[in-house]
Amino acid sequence: VYWVGVDVGGTFTDVVVYDEATGALAVAKSPTSPADPTVGLLNALAKLRVTLSATGRVVHGTTIGTNAILERKGAPVFVLTTRGFRDTLEIARTNRTVLYDIRARKPAPLTTRERVIEVDERMAADGTVVRPLREPEVREAIARVLAAQNGEGPGAVVVCFLHSYANAAHERAAAGVAAEGLPRWFVSASHEVLPEFREYERFSTAVLNAYIGPKVGGYLSGLGRALAERGYTGRVFVTTSSGGIMTAEVAARFPVHTVLSGPAGGVAAAVNLGRLTGHPDLITYDMGGTSTDVCLVEALEPTLTTEQHIAGLPNRTPQIEINSIGAGGGSVVWVDAGGALRVGPRSAGADPGPACYGRGGVEPTITDANLVLGRLAGDVSLAGEVPLDVDRARRALATLGDRVPGLGDEAALAEGIVRIAVARMVSAIKEISIAKGHDPRDFVLLAYGGAGPMHAALVAEELEMPRVIVPPVPGNFSAFGPLISDLRRDYVRTRLMPTRGGTLDDVEGVFAELTAEAHRDLAADRLPFERISTVRALGMRYVGQSWELLVRMPAACDSMAALEAAFRAAHERRYGHASDGAAEIVNFRLTAIGEVARPALERWPARGALAGALRVERPVRFGGEAVRTPVYVRERLPAGAVIIGPAVIEEMGATTVVPPGWTATVGTWGELALTRRSL
Amino acid sequence: VSVVDPITLEVVCEGLIAIVREMRATVIRASYSPVIWDMDDFSCALFDPQGQMIAQSDDHPGHVLPMPWSVRCAMEDFEGDLRPGDVILLNDAYRGGTHLNDVTMLYPLFDAGELFILPAVRAHWADVGGSTPGSYSGLNTNIYQEGVRIPPIKILAEGRLNRAAMALLLNNMRLPEDRQGDFDASLGACRVAEARIRRLLAKYGRKTVLDCIALNLDRAERRCRARIATLPDGEYVYEDYLEFYQDGRFDPVLMRLTLTVRGDEIVADFAGSSPQVPGVVNSTLATTGAGVVVAVKAALDPEGPINAGTFRPIHLRAPAASIVDVKGDAPAGAHGEVRKRAVSVMLGALAQIVPELVSGDLCGTSFPNAIGGRDARRRRDYVYYEAPSGGNGAWLAEDGASAWGNIDFGNVRTIQSAEALESAMPLRVERSELRCDSGGEGRTRGGLGLRREIRLLEGEARYSVLSDRAVLPPFGVGGAGPAAPVRVSVRRDGEEIELPMPGKATGHTLGAGETVIMQSAGGGGYGDPLAREPERVRQDVRSGYVSAVRAREGYGVVLTQHGEVDAAATAAERTRLAAARRRFPVVGDERDPYDGRRGKHRLVRLAPGLAHALGLTTGDLVEMLGRHPAPLRAWVRVDDAAPAEQVALDALGRRILGVADGDGVEIRRLSTPPIPGGLVSAERAHEHAVTPIA
Repeated sequence: VYWVGVDVGGTFTDVVVYDEATGALAVAKSPTSPADPTVGLLNALAKLRVTLSATGRVVHGTTIGTNAILERKGAPVFVLTTRGFRDTLEIARTNRTVLYDIRARKPAPLTTRERVIEVDERMAADGTVVRPLREPEVREAIARVLAAQNGEGPGAVVVCFLHSYANAAHERAAAGVAAEGLPRWFVSASHEVLPEFREYERFSTAVLNAYIGPKVGGYLSGLGRALAERGYTGRVFVTTSSGGIMTAEVAARFPVHTVLSGPAGGVAAAVNLGRLTGHPDLITYDMGGTSTDVCLVEALEPTLTTEQHIAGLPNRTPQIEINSIGAGGGSVVWVDAGGALRVGPRSAGADPGPACYGRGGVEPTITDANLVLGRLAGDVSLAGEVPLDVDRARRALATLGDRVPGLGDEAALAEGIVRIAVARMVSAIKEISIAKGHDPRDFVLLAYGGAGPMHAALVAEELEMPRVIVPPVPGNFSAFGPLISDLRRDYVRTRLMPTRGGTLDDVEGVFAELTAEAHRDLAADRLPFERISTVRALGMRYVGQSWELLVRMPAACDSMAALEAAFRAAHERRYGHASDGAAEIVNFRLTAIGEVARPALERWPARGALAGALRVERPVRFGGEAVRTPVYVRERLPAGAVIIGPAVIEEMGATTVVPPGWTATVGTWGELALTRRSL
Repeated sequence: VSVVDPITLEVVCEGLIAIVREMRATVIRASYSPVIWDMDDFSCALFDPQGQMIAQSDDHPGHVLPMPWSVRCAMEDFEGDLRPGDVILLNDAYRGGTHLNDVTMLYPLFDAGELFILPAVRAHWADVGGSTPGSYSGLNTNIYQEGVRIPPIKILAEGRLNRAAMALLLNNMRLPEDRQGDFDASLGACRVAEARIRRLLAKYGRKTVLDCIALNLDRAERRCRARIATLPDGEYVYEDYLEFYQDGRFDPVLMRLTLTVRGDEIVADFAGSSPQVPGVVNSTLATTGAGVVVAVKAALDPEGPINAGTFRPIHLRAPAASIVDVKGDAPAGAHGEVRKRAVSVMLGALAQIVPELVSGDLCGTSFPNAIGGRDARRRRDYVYYEAPSGGNGAWLAEDGASAWGNIDFGNVRTIQSAEALESAMPLRVERSELRCDSGGEGRTRGGLGLRREIRLLEGEARYSVLSDRAVLPPFGVGGAGPAAPVRVSVRRDGEEIELPMPGKATGHTLGAGETVIMQSAGGGGYGDPLAREPERVRQDVRSGYVSAVRAREGYGVVLTQHGEVDAAATAAERTRLAAARRRFPVVGDERDPYDGRRGKHRLVRLAPGLAHALGLTTGDLVEMLGRHPAPLRAWVRVDDAAPAEQVALDALGRRILGVADGDGVEIRRLSTPPIPGGLVSAERAHEHAVTPIA
């Protein structure tokens, strides 16, 4: 039986196939076909000769929804909202995110003002009806929607009423009328997408969902049909932003849960490797061509957040908290108007690419700097395709030296550029660790992406992190994520409850409702779970605070006082202080995890000697000096091999740098463990 | 001369900014004041002992730009008397503060026994005592009504909290537990900064870090100078007003700016501005200067860094004890309004130099509103606070953004979630929407203001508001129209009642069921509205940003009953509107054009025939349009002695408009809200007051 993982990216569609019988993994790549991504997917599958009738599971990561948002190519969205609130999306929170620029633009909502229709209804915060909903008015609104759409085919309607998290009756009724009056439209209500208070954030999330709903839904049903025609009888799953998977049916209704599924896949794969190698506390470091994503994982749990934005618009579904910065291997190094040396966010991309690709790029990039330093190979091709030209890289760097005095020769400049890039990575990691009360020295740096393993030890050195792990095939690591992810459904309910005055029974009562709902949903998925577990958390704050802190429900919680203590501890850790003031619960969160069987990986062979993996020796520059450095071929390294830095380990699509003072060990699963020899 | 290599320079500077970011992360949610946690109304930065700003991040310009002054005041007070573990607190508007709500913590850090660097946090505390909940009132006449004044004091001395001082402060503030939380949040942020700076020092050594700081400031200075050097040398003048009332009578105060560009330096001279008034529209020079820096940067170099180097080529001059440089015991509650007006006059002056880089006037007021009372059901006092954003000015290529913070306001969330608000207080948000027709009409349209209606459900409450731009609307540039001014009213039993002083109230009693209607100002337009593409006007009408009436009367765009552009009717209407604009020749008149008591407002004397022809009468507010992009505002005085069919202007007025004798000037009437007390006039007061001495 095969398991198939698919990652449809902007440029390439990656397919990973796991053969349950042999434990073997096979990887294939095919250009993404933007018009119908199913074509690219089937092409990639064809390369691997997978028998779809013998395939047990297809898990799919997709950026279709994400791209529709970023390119603003979603469906026309009509919004029915409470009278007096038609401008909620356009007003947003009024905060200027671009300081000091008189010509800056406010992020525009995904729908226009004339597509927002007010309905005269109103709920109060406690869920009591202030003004009842009148169905004829909803029908009139639907008639206006149809008139406005003017026969242009179905779009999306989303009902966004105030306080629907407290009482969804009006939203439900209005959505019912809409669904009846608008067959084949994507009809939804804000409380289904996110039953959580704060209208702007909820409406925004619901509109994002509606905006991509028709596109993602259409794609997934087309894919399901295409796979079925080719003999596939199983279910299709989609990876979520929170690092799990959901069925295609659920994803089609709630596609907003998938918009960050790409980087989430990498983190899921990292968690799996952390589990296998016995490192539960990780900082993931995914450095690609244009950007770098970092994420903190504690006790095999990635940090989750509900406070991210996409294209400047809030998306409050649970997501793995990824800090992304615009610096990757292809990032351009430049001199700003004040004479400061900068790295990124502009990237040379794949075309023209870094100067050393020789495809017309003349601006220096981080890749060029690494080539000049000898860390990247000048004698073999990157990813087996592009020959790298050291002279071009050097010439590109020289253009900077002319503009900034004191930079020294190209080699010194190249080392400096890497230092600046590393400083930015270090800042990004500090924001997710130190700034949130975690000491990076307690974490292992797990590096992947094409450029991650090249800089990982340098980043770890700055942060005094003792250990770096580089998985096998780090360039394709993220595509492996979908195969090892569990089914995951996230539930939230807003209910304000003071810790003093309330009882634990009240808390358990709300969780019992959520648990029942979760079991109902998972049962409806009809899947052979190994096990179903739930994780409970609470959004809590001091009375008077507005934003809540996520607090894990303590395992043995016997009183509200214990709950309050857990909140205080979380507050203390995050903010450095906590008072004994009264606290309150704002949100109840429950995650249901349906565990699925995970692939059993092949162990890395221990055959052969280290010397057999040595390809060449070349001068590599470290700390201002060119050091004669052995270069190994990763595929030929035997398990258990120990490599004393300086060393360079090359493989298809990535290069691992082991600086002086560091030692690399080849682990059981083929991972490289880099450790500092001494301090 | 420094020997730091350019790479270490970048790495250390990145490290310093990362420290400020971490400070922000610490403050951001640990504070208790809604203005801090919900609106991010706070700032963090690092200073050197000379008060030079070394690093900041996405911090509130209105906070961080005046902060160097705070550090200098504290350093003066504690010269030679600072020890490790000392922590300084201050909010005194005359000694390093801005307005009393902004409480600043300075955290002197020592290295090897020497004062090295000062992390600082400035945060808006929701209440600092004074006459009204929220410590905000447009009617205060002295600083004692505005709250507790904290001169720079050591709130911690050598690490020990001064409990007496703390108790004294908290005893004089509403919701003292919350204030304690605000204090703790600032302290937590400073402690984080200390730990990180120590690491930086351990790694690079003090000399290298200091060298990096110096180099970084120098290059920011070079960058700023290079931008200024592109401007033609010259002196550019503009004037605008802040709204002041005494005994209910309107007495606008004048802000005058003479902007001198010479080489790579700018001097902003406020000579001629009104003396300070016993009202809130005064500010410290530090805050006024913040407006100047914001405008220079926003127009000339938005991407450039912000540190002490940026400020060096920009010089300030101002008369002491004036509205732009307040001294005791005048209030300073509306300091932000003064800062915003400084931005306005800067835009008016810069429009004469680089019209392609400026926008129409911004909404020009921060519009803080507060409702305070006792929540009987939750058995808790509450203070609701928000400052609904208005519109932004249009610029050459784009319409202004609607309901978005102005450039001097930082990344502040100015309104609360209705759902969050209603679950915490006995209030209901009845409406939260954009104000139709509030954006200044122009070839590009100014952004729209907000309309927020908040109803008190139970009990009694007090409402205070402190706004400007409630009479004088934000101006357009390049022939564009003004935006709608701020408007505040209270709906009681279905009847809408205006405040006796537009935009200002202190402790106005609200009964259950009454609704406060807050309408923020729009942004000024840019360019001639008759030149706006008719299709864009049609789209604005379709979206409800502009009414069909204003499309026709303001933009000359006539729509069919199906909402399509009627091209022929539009062309005719535009021709008619253009022809109706009449210009009258300017004639020199060097009599003092200003009237006022405490304040000062410009008069334009018109002959009765001309006034009649223009539909104007004494006391009307008008704007005059000349050759320069920004208009000149004045109040009409019908005068039999004024020249017929001519506009009398003094030399300064002619400079502001860029006109010479004989050049044409257009006069437009601006509609103003009713002001029961009327506009003051010193001349008339004089007539009545003077009695012959026997």
